[in-house]
Amino acid sequence: MSLFRYASSIYGGGDTLIGANYGLLPWFAFAGVAFVIAHAIFKAVAAPGKPR
Amino acid sequence: MTGATPADRIGRHKFIDRAYHWVMAATVLILLVTAFLPILGVKFEWVGIHWVTGLVLTIIVLIHIVRAVFWQNFWSMVPDGKDVTDPFAKPGKYSVAQKLYHLAISLLILAAIVTGLLMWRKVDTPFWQRDPYWLSTDTWGVVYALHGLAAMALVTMVIIHLYFALRPDEWHLTRSMLRGWITPKEYTDHYDSRRWSGGDEA
Repeated sequence: MSLFRYASSIYGGGDTLIGANYGLLPWFAFAGVAFVIAHAIFKAVAAPGKPR
Repeated sequence: MTGATPADRIGRHKFIDRAYHWVMAATVLILLVTAFLPILGVKFEWVGIHWVTGLVLTIIVLIHIVRAVFWQNFWSMVPDGKDVTDPFAKPGKYSVAQKLYHLAISLLILAAIVTGLLMWRKVDTPFWQRDPYWLSTDTWGVVYALHGLAAMALVTMVIIHLYFALRPDEWHLTRSMLRGWITPKEYTDHYDSRRWSGGDEA
């Protein structure tokens, strides 16, 4: 899946960049959730009860 | 709450800095909601709310930058040698993770602000009429792409921030962003007094 969105130019030639691909939004949200889960597991397993 | 008296309180954040934090949080959330709900299919008149909120965010970020450079200890938020040699040691006022998070979210918000201000030229406002030809098509594409990528990355960062704000072992930080101070026990438990003597100057 591309990071960007393109449109065909009405004047011909190559595609024109028009912005970010918002289809990636769930993946950015998933990255945040994945970090949260990984950190929570690490803290529970590797450093239980440790304040920092 | 801990029942600490004013004499027991170790200041961490002045009122103006806490106000900045919460106004910034509100504006970022409003900007993300008004940006992404229409993309997800919830249709409403979002453009006006979005640019006005973006303008508020721009103004408070400018105030924060001036305040951080001239009135606060700017270097307290910059990683130092100890952060590199022993990143898991008791920190000064901010841990290395907090400093890196601040750096990342600063870059994302500044990217969103700069590109957002350029995109403002394509919106009718009380100050001007829109001019979609102000930049070339290719340049607008780069501006929109950077704005969109920064916004989506901010979703990741907000999720991570909320997680740390809600973790029980970080509640002293969340409380301090509400009331401005921590207790002496929280100070000795979490901070190296040689690296932060306690105080809300930064």
